[in-house]
Amino acid sequence: MKKGILLIAVALLLASSLVAVGCPRPVLEEPPVEPIRLGAVNPLGDITGRQSAQGMKLAVAEINAAGGILGRPLELIVMDDEFSPAVGAAAIEKLATVHEVDIFIGGMASGVHLAQIPILAKHGRVTVWIGAASHLVEAAIAALPDHDWYFHLHPWDYQQVEGTVEGWAAIVEKFPQIRLDRMFVAYEEGAFGAAGFAISRALFADVTIEGESFTSAVFGGGDFRAVLRHAKEFNPDAFVWVGFDPDALGMMVQAKEIGFAPPVFLGTPPGWPVGFGEIPLSEAVWLYGMWSPELKGVSPEAAHFWWAFIEKFGEEPATYFAPLGYVNVKFVAAGIERAGTLERGPLIEALREVRFEDTAVGWPLTIAPSRLIRHQGFTRQMILQWQGGRQEVIWPFEVATAEPIFPFPRWEDR
Amino acid sequence: MLAKLRQRDYQILIAFIIVAAILAFWRPHVLISGLQRGSLYVLIALPVGIIYGILGILNLAHGEFMMLGAFFAFSLVTLTGIDPLIAMLPAFPAMFVVGIVTYRLTIKHVVRAPLNQFLLTFGLAVMLTEMANLIWTTRPRIVWVPYAASSATIGPITFGTFEFVYVAAAAIVLVGMFLFLTRTRAGLAAMAVGQNPRGAKLVGIDVERTYMMIFSACLAVLGPIGALFLIRHAIFPGVGGPFSLRAVSIVAMAGFGNLPGILVWGIGLGLAEAFVRSFRGWGGWADIIFFGMIILVVFYRSYQRRVR
Repeated sequence: MKKGILLIAVALLLASSLVAVGCPRPVLEEPPVEPIRLGAVNPLGDITGRQSAQGMKLAVAEINAAGGILGRPLELIVMDDEFSPAVGAAAIEKLATVHEVDIFIGGMASGVHLAQIPILAKHGRVTVWIGAASHLVEAAIAALPDHDWYFHLHPWDYQQVEGTVEGWAAIVEKFPQIRLDRMFVAYEEGAFGAAGFAISRALFADVTIEGESFTSAVFGGGDFRAVLRHAKEFNPDAFVWVGFDPDALGMMVQAKEIGFAPPVFLGTPPGWPVGFGEIPLSEAVWLYGMWSPELKGVSPEAAHFWWAFIEKFGEEPATYFAPLGYVNVKFVAAGIERAGTLERGPLIEALREVRFEDTAVGWPLTIAPSRLIRHQGFTRQMILQWQGGRQEVIWPFEVATAEPIFPFPRWEDR
Repeated sequence: MLAKLRQRDYQILIAFIIVAAILAFWRPHVLISGLQRGSLYVLIALPVGIIYGILGILNLAHGEFMMLGAFFAFSLVTLTGIDPLIAMLPAFPAMFVVGIVTYRLTIKHVVRAPLNQFLLTFGLAVMLTEMANLIWTTRPRIVWVPYAASSATIGPITFGTFEFVYVAAAAIVLVGMFLFLTRTRAGLAAMAVGQNPRGAKLVGIDVERTYMMIFSACLAVLGPIGALFLIRHAIFPGVGGPFSLRAVSIVAMAGFGNLPGILVWGIGLGLAEAFVRSFRGWGGWADIIFFGMIILVVFYRSYQRRVR
């Protein structure tokens, strides 16, 4: 029995030595590299949140393909806020405690973010937010005893309007045939429209402004004929409607049917219906935006992003949150690279120093104080115009992609 | 059913005719846009009235089914390039099938359970919205046909003409429903089932089948209505919700099962909205007037019942 066991042991030893000779030398396994975790919270049911997350994934994939940051890969964990403040706040808590993310990114609705701010403040980790434009959010952040950890890349609402005032002043100076003495603002009756009208009135101080509210198609409205008739009676140089995406078609169709074609016809929805640019009524409609697909013709970063996004996801970026999500990750990565560490103090210092001459949204990016917080990124939005189905950039002139069409063509000429 | 055009409705109808005559001279565009918008309300509310009148179900997912019909038409238009008006034809049988499936899987089980009906149809509304969200995303979709913005000028008034289609469609649906309910065997059976399901069963009417056919037919009508809606409106998953509320409100105002009343009150509310909006700065009151009128009518009815 003992002899048998001995023989088996010898045979096993021989076999193992033979295997060892035939195999490569065993290498000492390096401990797995701990990834740098980015926790994003977006409304994934909406195209803005979904494409923002896609932009982030694209940036993470590119960075990891190039070797990661500080020798570590980036790991992106995206959670859905469902446009709900409670869900959004819970998502931050989960990212902090369960996923133990190093940095918070993402964001969209101001109402959701207001509920997230106390949770973010409790954890105090570096946060680079790309949504939540409301000045109420800015006030809530500024009210914290310490908000050095907070970076906000999206322009605040008042900065957007200040930017457009600056832009229109530049346009009127460059194209004297364009006048802005009388403006009629049709605004949806909710907080979005009312705030837009109030800010417009405050900032366009030397323009005669009249306004009237309407019920957006989002809330079962969509009959704009009365407001448009009143605007027509006012005979404005510029007609501005502050509403939502579903209002766009009704606004144009109903303006046409009552024969209202002011010299400047401007819409400021957060996005546009699919295919809006393809309908003849869209020609020469002005709009505001953080980004335009046409920037790929003037900005190398925007062009790179555009084609990489299409290649990776098989669809075109349809909202500026797509490139903004991409910039979000690139900005954080540049900060970590510059800091050489994830420690809060040096990282904040480094993020403050990050400078991009060009970004996927077509603008340079630097960090500077806003009215109330220390770390604000983008501060302006562009003035664009629908031309031939494309959103051409009219202002800022340094990234302009077309000259403006003025005046608004007559309906019968379309 | 014609007998249901109660004396009160006649009085209201006469009052509306007088108001319309005044508006025609004073504010003609109010008359036109009120008639057009009110007809859209009537068009959407009529099937709600029928379903309630016969099945006793208040369908809170009604607007969402219209949204589904509109998306079906949209998909046909974008995939095949056909005109939305032609897409109305296949939208009818497609929504009929949706109606049969919905009835057999869900509605059938709650026909005599009012609270469960509310919960079920509310759940259906949420489910349809989320389903549309997954398929078509939240981005609004539009189609463009030049006739959507057609207009005419009479004297100093320029107005849109396409929405008169809603007026014609409301009339066709109303008359069609009357003819179906009063001149066809299936319609008469449906009326009998609506009045006394047990008695109808005793005389050999297949009550279950009648319920299914009426529910499915009413959903089928929403297919073409959705296609018509698509011509002038952007569609998105949440587009139907506010119309569910309006349709149910109009049916409540007219008195449940009172189809001519739906016509009168639907157009009346459209005119009231347009009238309020025609005064600059008062547009925000349109919804308050709409739902305020409903509250007043419901209170008045309640008062009348107590007096009787």
